[in-house]
Amino acid sequence: MNHALKISRSAKLPRLAALLVTVAGLGLSGCDDHAGDPKMQIGANPVLPALQQYFMPPMAVAKVVGWGTETPAVAQGLQVHALATGFQHPRSLYVLPNGDVLVVESNGPKAPIDRPKDIITGWVQSFAGAKAKDANRITLLRGSKPDGTPELRTVFLDHLNSPFGVALVGHDLYVANTDGIMRFPYQDGQTSITAAGTKLTDLPGGPIDHHWTKALLASPDGSKLYVGVGSNSNIGENGIGAEYERAAIWEVDRASGAHRIFASGIRNPTGLQWEPETGKLWAIANERDEIGPDLVPDYLTSVKDGGFYGWPYSYYGQHLDPRIVPQRPDLVASAIVPDYALSSHVAPLGVAMYTGTDLPANYRSGAFVGEHGSWNRTPLNGYKVVFVPFSGGRPSGPAQDVVTGFLDANNHARGRPVGLAVDKSGGLLIADDVGNTVWRVSSSNPHSASNN
Amino acid sequence: MQQHATITEATFIHDAKSRLTPKPRRRPLHKMLVSFSAAYFVGALATDITYWQMPDVLWERFSIWLIVAGLVMAGLATIAYAIDLAGGRRIDRPAWPRAIGYALAVLLSVINAFVHSRDGYTAVVPTGLMLSGLVVVVLLLTAAVAMALAHRQRVGG
Repeated sequence: MNHALKISRSAKLPRLAALLVTVAGLGLSGCDDHAGDPKMQIGANPVLPALQQYFMPPMAVAKVVGWGTETPAVAQGLQVHALATGFQHPRSLYVLPNGDVLVVESNGPKAPIDRPKDIITGWVQSFAGAKAKDANRITLLRGSKPDGTPELRTVFLDHLNSPFGVALVGHDLYVANTDGIMRFPYQDGQTSITAAGTKLTDLPGGPIDHHWTKALLASPDGSKLYVGVGSNSNIGENGIGAEYERAAIWEVDRASGAHRIFASGIRNPTGLQWEPETGKLWAIANERDEIGPDLVPDYLTSVKDGGFYGWPYSYYGQHLDPRIVPQRPDLVASAIVPDYALSSHVAPLGVAMYTGTDLPANYRSGAFVGEHGSWNRTPLNGYKVVFVPFSGGRPSGPAQDVVTGFLDANNHARGRPVGLAVDKSGGLLIADDVGNTVWRVSSSNPHSASNN
Repeated sequence: MQQHATITEATFIHDAKSRLTPKPRRRPLHKMLVSFSAAYFVGALATDITYWQMPDVLWERFSIWLIVAGLVMAGLATIAYAIDLAGGRRIDRPAWPRAIGYALAVLLSVINAFVHSRDGYTAVVPTGLMLSGLVVVVLLLTAAVAMALAHRQRVGG
């Protein structure tokens, strides 16, 4: 036995050990995690570092601690209070013409396990509150008591299927379930809809349904619905066939339900808005993961009819992604660079172009963006609501922090901002899907603040 | 010690015959599990090569599940080895070159599992494919060295 040991030591081991070290080094070299300053990646010209491939992908989720008696912090001139609490994973908000607020309580369908990685990812995400039960309903909030809470709270619409986007056109209320757009009859002042809905069109849903949220926006004339349909993977790892008509913004004809692809190559368009000055369509999008803490910046962009925005083949124009084979140089050549980077992994999930007059003058033109926060980057990024000032229909300056404090001093999550909406009196509403709260931000100037 | 090693090696080589005759010690538990583990790793190389030639995600998924199955088997083999030692079952001599070779293959496969957990093409090409190949080379070398040593011992003993 000693003899054998001696042989293996003298002959085999050094060579194999050298090989092992080389190979381990190959993989581990991707582990150096030097996240840069997110400020370098905000605006029209984000700094894009070289792409890196991980040996072990970083997972840094903020542990959920809840709000307790705390509230978010707001920028100067603003105040915040909890409009209502006790929701089940509120994801998006919609304000009806009479001022009623719809709170969409929803969570994604159960993710399938296709790879061992899916087991690990699911387990890690359960710490970030992403596995909350899917309520599949919309709650209505009406009026305001002296303490700022609503006078009426009813279940508006129930038994939905991972709903996200809502749009009202006349007396037709459209709800974008993860697998289709439903139309419900709505009468002014109605507090609960019991009528069965009619399906306008199917949307790409299961069985994978990686990005399940379907953002919805009606055209100003009401003839079309625009739908944000996210990709079915991070970077095409479920096969390009699974991406059919995904990572795109659909234009759905409201009369016939027929659709066309309005824009494509947008990995996950989670929010759509009309820019009030130019009337152009704008979207927020979540870009790809696992090629570095500073790649790829999520963005806010105007959406051109027929435009291709890169995913999965490239990002920010012609920066190729080696993880997708075969490549499509023809598409990449036409890839549009998004207008405004929000920095990497902030996960924008809500956008509201501000057209109200309640908030201070510096918020009168621009877009609020709800940044759910990163799960694969150290230090954490996002976990706040920012304001991107606009001028002449274009972003005109760096994003400003408006609502923060979603993380405590230990980087634990009290809550995470998602969908945004502007209520009838001009306050900014924020859905918080981890704090299970809807926050209302208003001017702290008592002359213009309406609710406090 | 030397005398005993010779006997066990001989019974190992003539395994088919030994099954029919009563043995002084029972068959080791871990050997079969090691073979399973090695077979999974070889399978992963085959599906990696297929993916490289024909990048359909199906092959990539086969690879990662095969690697993980190989690692699970290797874990079970380690437990079985400990049971074999404790239970005084027959351990093939010389044991060390095998143990080191298998440990190296498992270590490389752990790294390989992480590489294969990347999203898209680079989960396999080129690093994953290289690692899968290297694991099979290590397994083959281990078997060859172990066989040569066993032969030498038998001749020398």
